[in-house]
Amino acid sequence: MSESANSACETARAEVMFDTRRLDAMKKRARGREQKRYRTTPIPDLVSECDGEGLSWPRRAARLVCRMCESERPVIEPEERIVFTRTITSVPPVYTAEAWAERTAGRTLHELGPISNICADWGLVLNQGLLGRRQAAAEAQQRMSADEDAVEFLACAEETIDAVLALAARYEAEARRLGREDIADRLARVPAYPPRTLHEALQMLRLLHAVVWMGGHYHVGLGRFDQYMWPYLQADLASGRLDMAGAEELVAEFFISLNKDSDLYPGVQQGDNGQSLMLGGVRPDGSSGINELTYVVLRAALYTALIDPKINLRISRDTDLDLLRVASQLTRQGLGFPQYSNDDVVIPALVAHGYHLEDARNYTVAACWEFIIPGEGMEVVNIGAVSFPLAVDRAIRAGFAAGEGMDGVLERVRREVQMQAAAVAEPYRRLLLPPAPYYSIVMNGCLERGRDLSGGLRYNNFGIHGAAAANGADALAATEQFVFGDGSIRAEQLLQALDANFEGFEPVRMQLSNVAPKVGQNGAANKYLRFLYQCLAEACAALDGNGRGGHFRAGSGSAMYYVWLARGKPGDGEFPIGATAEGRRAGEFFSANLAPALNARVPGPISVLQSFATIDYNQVCNGGPITVELSDTVFRDTESLTKCAMLVRAFAQLGCQQLQLNTINADRLMEAKAHPEMHRNLIVRVWGWSGYFCELAPEYQDHVIARSLYLV
Amino acid sequence: MQDGLVADIRDFTLHDGPGIRTTVFLKGCPLRCQWCHNPEMISCEPQCMRSPAGDRTVGRWYSAFDLASMLLSQAEILRASGGGVTFSGGEPLMQSQFVAEVIERIRPLHVVLDTSGYASPEVFRHVASLANLIYFDLKLIDPEEHRRYTDADNRVILENYRWLAASGIPFVARVPLVPGVTDTPQNLERIAETVCGSPNLQGVEFLPYNRAAGGKYAALSMEFRPAYDQKRALNLDFRAFAERGCRFRILGPSPAVPAEHSGDG
Repeated sequence: MSESANSACETARAEVMFDTRRLDAMKKRARGREQKRYRTTPIPDLVSECDGEGLSWPRRAARLVCRMCESERPVIEPEERIVFTRTITSVPPVYTAEAWAERTAGRTLHELGPISNICADWGLVLNQGLLGRRQAAAEAQQRMSADEDAVEFLACAEETIDAVLALAARYEAEARRLGREDIADRLARVPAYPPRTLHEALQMLRLLHAVVWMGGHYHVGLGRFDQYMWPYLQADLASGRLDMAGAEELVAEFFISLNKDSDLYPGVQQGDNGQSLMLGGVRPDGSSGINELTYVVLRAALYTALIDPKINLRISRDTDLDLLRVASQLTRQGLGFPQYSNDDVVIPALVAHGYHLEDARNYTVAACWEFIIPGEGMEVVNIGAVSFPLAVDRAIRAGFAAGEGMDGVLERVRREVQMQAAAVAEPYRRLLLPPAPYYSIVMNGCLERGRDLSGGLRYNNFGIHGAAAANGADALAATEQFVFGDGSIRAEQLLQALDANFEGFEPVRMQLSNVAPKVGQNGAANKYLRFLYQCLAEACAALDGNGRGGHFRAGSGSAMYYVWLARGKPGDGEFPIGATAEGRRAGEFFSANLAPALNARVPGPISVLQSFATIDYNQVCNGGPITVELSDTVFRDTESLTKCAMLVRAFAQLGCQQLQLNTINADRLMEAKAHPEMHRNLIVRVWGWSGYFCELAPEYQDHVIARSLYLV
Repeated sequence: MQDGLVADIRDFTLHDGPGIRTTVFLKGCPLRCQWCHNPEMISCEPQCMRSPAGDRTVGRWYSAFDLASMLLSQAEILRASGGGVTFSGGEPLMQSQFVAEVIERIRPLHVVLDTSGYASPEVFRHVASLANLIYFDLKLIDPEEHRRYTDADNRVILENYRWLAASGIPFVARVPLVPGVTDTPQNLERIAETVCGSPNLQGVEFLPYNRAAGGKYAALSMEFRPAYDQKRALNLDFRAFAERGCRFRILGPSPAVPAEHSGDG
């Protein structure tokens, strides 16, 4: 670590360094969603004009960005220094429903359709400025004048650049009108030209990032913020333009600005918007990337205490305990972040999956936890999930019927996982990604190659979640011990109990639930946890190519599947699976991501980490965090805070991949459910994201409450 | 070698000694403290706890080898944080041979012995000598009061205490604060008289009364009958310690006072 970073450690423990009065008011308004009052601009109608002009799809995608930018009405609040507030509530379609259905017939759209859940190379566009990117497009156009598709794409990209520049110019004019010369002067510089200061860089990022959402994209990651922003802060500090307190205030204001429109961003649940930001880790050359901005960001997030951005921190077994202590202060706030990734494990795994070492070292997370290379990955990291409990349930039933032993059951699990993975992958062989001319500008090589982002980047892999592994492994461990081991439960008795949803079989359920070994106890269930992910990795490898020049990555996240695989998606009639052999009744949730099953009693977080450390993460590199919930009492004194930092280091030392620490107090959650009006600011993280507890649907609230009753 | 009856094993226990620790709760206790919040650790036999969360057997037999193996699987993590293993309960000295054997097997891991001090002097001295740090509970100094609230004589406790205070083995005195019982000015004064000045005393830790103390009794078909007013505010006047230059602190959340204090010394 550099000397300057060491000095940052000292200041990192101090309280907020700047006068917070200005931002306090802004923060309050963002929390209260007061920006809603500006949202009066009519949603532009694109279909008729696009149809009238007979525009191609890429042209329509570009026109959408242009119209959205043109329609935006500048909003500059009196005390703001980083501007842009969205005034249009939603993104209009570019085709009629009929034309859209025709265009997409026989093809698979991913989720809502538009490209999502990836991360731009923000450093690239900051370095070049939009005019620099425009120049790159113009050069490519000359070079590829014979390639019609390339020419059209590049023209589209230029059109969107011009639209963003025009929007910036209108903001500049409004700032001058209001006598806000400082803002106007910055907008005269950025985003057209490369920023010279941290303030300019943040203003540029705010605008360019917001416009991505205006094009219909979502889960727009912020990438390695303390890497690409650091040169600007460094220059400011060197010239004396800015001190650390000033930097903290600017970053805090930028963070507040990310919360102004976030309720407009699509997501499965409120708060699930994927404004993830990465800190720390190594540089592409392998040296430590931790710098003073790393600490500034942590402190700014401590101050803002808002759900955006979601902070991620890359660490290794050697990460300084001081940094982890500051990060633990953030955990103490109960925002559900930072989320930690272990460089020691992630980088080799990415290399093993075909990523160049320099790229692997530059990894970030897409929206929740999926590892992706900024500007280099057009990866679809969450095409679906394999249900481990379903694979195990089918294998047990078929294996019993065939009179097989444990080995036979395991062989069937292997085949079931393979079949499920193939079924998940199949529709994605017909994946249709809509053109994304504006998003292409902030990716590496799209303009230079004259190819839209939807055509792919250097890395084009797909990710498949392996969901509810703890439940599946527990079911196998219970079956082994009681059916094939001591014979205390007969095979047909187990099946009867499951089919009866344990009604009339309470002693059997108790035995399965309370006596059997569980994932999280670091015992006999571990080997099945490892086995299940091995099955998934093998299944992904067996799928061969994905048709887009990539392959399939096995992952350990569950996203919404811990609910869907237990109860079905909303509107589904029946539960996809009944009671399961780990003692879970039909309809009860599975565990989310990598966490012990809800009925598992575990000794504590160390045992939980030890259990999950048995997974071979070199084969399972799509991401998906171990989720550990800590009682808020863990953070009440400085000694305990240090122990929390040690726990995070233990996570890295044990060779785990990703960790999410939550601070929850069950009483408070139940109170919040009963009296939501009193707990509007209560933030929890349910899976890869944080959300306001009171904005979650009741079944998610119940899950969070159930989980916190088993606080470790 | 006899197996040991373990009530529970918890890892990442925050208030049981330095660093990251795993605590082994031994089942069985010779005292009957009215404020006991772990009533499932009193009996020396496995017991069933019945609750809406389901039935659960408390108490599992371990061989010293198995328990030591389990603890050693965490050794790297415990050591890296300057932590180790804490033996608590119940009263761990009720199974002193088992505890001693486990300690021998997990050497050189750092060991804390959390004890009421109620054991024969031979047993106490033997196991205490194997530990790196002792948490010694002091509840009531007055013999009558002690008998009244814990159903046990405190003579052997104080005898063991005096040996410990002169032994050179580092120890922390732990005082459960029970309203109107242990937190009285007289009792705190006598505890301060007893402990302050011992060269190997690392400090005094006060454990605020746990208002959920009675929570587990129904599940065990036991009765919680405190002969004191649970709701009474605690006396948090620790001048007797501060005046003697004795380092002390209050563990866990305490709304009335900041979490950490230290005397003039």
